[in-house]
Amino acid sequence: MQHVIVFVEQKAGQTRKVTYELATEARKIADVLGGKAHAVVLGAGAAQLAEQLKAYPLDVVHVSEDGDVDKYFLDPIVDYMESVARSVGPSLILVPNTMLGRDVAGRLVGRLEAGLTSDVTDYRFEGGKAIGVAPKLQGSTITACGFKNTDYGISTVRPNAFSAKAGGSGAQIVAVDKPAGKTYALLIENEVEEATGEMGLEEAPVVVSGGRGLGGPEPFTTLLKPLADALGGAVGASRAAADAGWVPYSLQIGQTGKIVSPQLYIAVGISGAIQHKVGMQTAGTIVAINRDGTVPIGEFADLVVVGDL
Amino acid sequence: MKIVVTVKLVPDTNAAKRIDPATKRLVRTGLETVLNPFDEYAIEAALQLKERLGSDTTVTIFTMAPETGKETIRKALAMGADDAVMLSDAGLEGSDVWATSYAMAQALKKTGFDLILAGGLSDDGNTGGVPGALAEYIGVPALTNVRKIEEAGDGKIRAQRETDSGYQVVTGPLPALVTVTMAVGEPRYASLKGIMGAKKKTIATTSLADLGLERAVGTDGAKTEVIDISAPKPREKARVVEAPDGATGARAIFDFLREKKLI
Ligand SMILES: Cc1cc2nc3c(=O)[nH]c(=O)nc-3n(C[C@H](O)[C@H](O)[C@H](O)COP(=O)(O)OP(=O)(O)OC[C@H]3O[C@@H](n4cnc5c(N)ncnc54)[C@H](O)[C@@H]3O)c2cc1C
Ligand SMILES: Nc1ncnc2c1ncn2[C@@H]1O[C@H](COP(=O)(O)O)[C@@H](O)[C@H]1O
Repeated sequence: MQHVIVFVEQKAGQTRKVTYELATEARKIADVLGGKAHAVVLGAGAAQLAEQLKAYPLDVVHVSEDGDVDKYFLDPIVDYMESVARSVGPSLILVPNTMLGRDVAGRLVGRLEAGLTSDVTDYRFEGGKAIGVAPKLQGSTITACGFKNTDYGISTVRPNAFSAKAGGSGAQIVAVDKPAGKTYALLIENEVEEATGEMGLEEAPVVVSGGRGLGGPEPFTTLLKPLADALGGAVGASRAAADAGWVPYSLQIGQTGKIVSPQLYIAVGISGAIQHKVGMQTAGTIVAINRDGTVPIGEFADLVVVGDL
Repeated sequence: MKIVVTVKLVPDTNAAKRIDPATKRLVRTGLETVLNPFDEYAIEAALQLKERLGSDTTVTIFTMAPETGKETIRKALAMGADDAVMLSDAGLEGSDVWATSYAMAQALKKTGFDLILAGGLSDDGNTGGVPGALAEYIGVPALTNVRKIEEAGDGKIRAQRETDSGYQVVTGPLPALVTVTMAVGEPRYASLKGIMGAKKKTIATTSLADLGLERAVGTDGAKTEVIDISAPKPREKARVVEAPDGATGARAIFDFLREKKLI
């Protein structure tokens, strides 16, 4: 494994902050491995985004604006990623640990006969190899995991784990040829937006989350949203709040929701069940507001304010 | 229609876990084994589909796990699945995402199916990588994060899949693999009748010898290796502030954030 390839998650030319984090980290890893740092940008808006990526220390940005990427679910992305990976050669592929990123990673494990290390929050280097460090077993253990028996390694990387830093002398932009002889099976008939602005939940520096203790949907808009806005953050929720229909599932934080790592996490009326904890326990500072001072979240929060809402 | 649900057996979510420093694997002794909670939603989705499509639809549970997991699999049968297939072999110990998917794919091809339903994430592995890799090896489309199956049958599927900001309606052919989200509905409890009936249902087992794999699996074949494990940095004990009214609480938070230089 010599090179590094970043999968850029994007929609109509808009990407996530994690893209820049991965681009920055890719450079560092590529330098240690003695290879090049690549990125792949696919779909409508890709060319424009590739220009922006020139500000980051990448060597090559592979681009395709192929309309099939937005028309069919996932398969075109997997084909393009495979094609770039094969032309670049043995490499470590970095994808964000997001809904789409996890999908891409799983498929590439099969397609490239690759190893997968998930939810990486740090890299270590030993004997010229990159070793991914990640919290495992509901955060009870930190595991360092490397690759063997394969030319390709894939990591899903937690947003906000690495810092982004512009630099470099401007990547070369190259067009990727459409992989030949492919037919796509999963047609996206239509797309429905139920909530806006949540693309940023994983990368928000501050997350203000509400749980069952809020008692209904109103406090999300009257209390949490203004607080989040004031702190420059985003609103999240526990599963209990999403299940109750107070907020869309796209705001859910935890094992089966978004995994976040903000500088500050404020949990309002959330008990801190293990499935919620795994989604936010690496936050820098955790503040809990709860009427019960003995809830599990007290075991991993920094400040617990005991009071009725 | 033949539905197969892939179900992982995992140690109880709420139990404290540790990795054996010598083998670098999870210590499973003393931990109760349960159905991966997420996969119970996949079972629920399968049973709903069976109810909708009628009696010539069957639901088979598939797991790759040691034979000691048989009793746990009965719980899935008690929920209403028809039968189960276990892929069990000492040679599978130490399999990573790649090895698990590769071995499971060969076994599932033998089992046969029109639709595979999987959970999105396992409680212990937590990679979410298996379904996608599995679909690649079997050679079927992978429709992920499905919250509602609108139609399935006659070689076609139409489903709503969750996205970060809403959902997409996606159509495709069968056979296919589908991963579900928890929005498909709460997993049903087993009825007494279900529990009694489960005792008579078939749990077939296969081993590596039946599959004739071309590549090594288990620890030798895995494409990842655990280098070391450590304990996370312990967090400092929380400061606890009693706030009889909102103003006191707000003040306490404000002062704390100031002190931490977060505002
Ligand atoms: C397979 C599986 C996956 C799951 N995945 C997730 C996940 O991704 N994310 C997630 O969050 N959960 C997940 N869960 C659910 C999880 O186990 C908990 O049920 C859930 O997190 C509880 O949400 P909560 O803290 O809002 O509610 P509760 O546990 O009910 O806590 C509510 C809290 O509010 C406090 N409260 C109540 N009223 C007031 C008031 N007036 N003033 C102040 N405080 C008040 C209470 O003291 C309590 O601590 C999952 C469960 C399963 C089985
Ligand atoms: N050993 C296994 N046996 C059966 N199904 C599995 C196994 N491992 C993973 N799966 C399926 O793949 C999904 C994702 O698991 P994972 O990739 O381990 O997070 C689970 O929800 C299961 O449906």
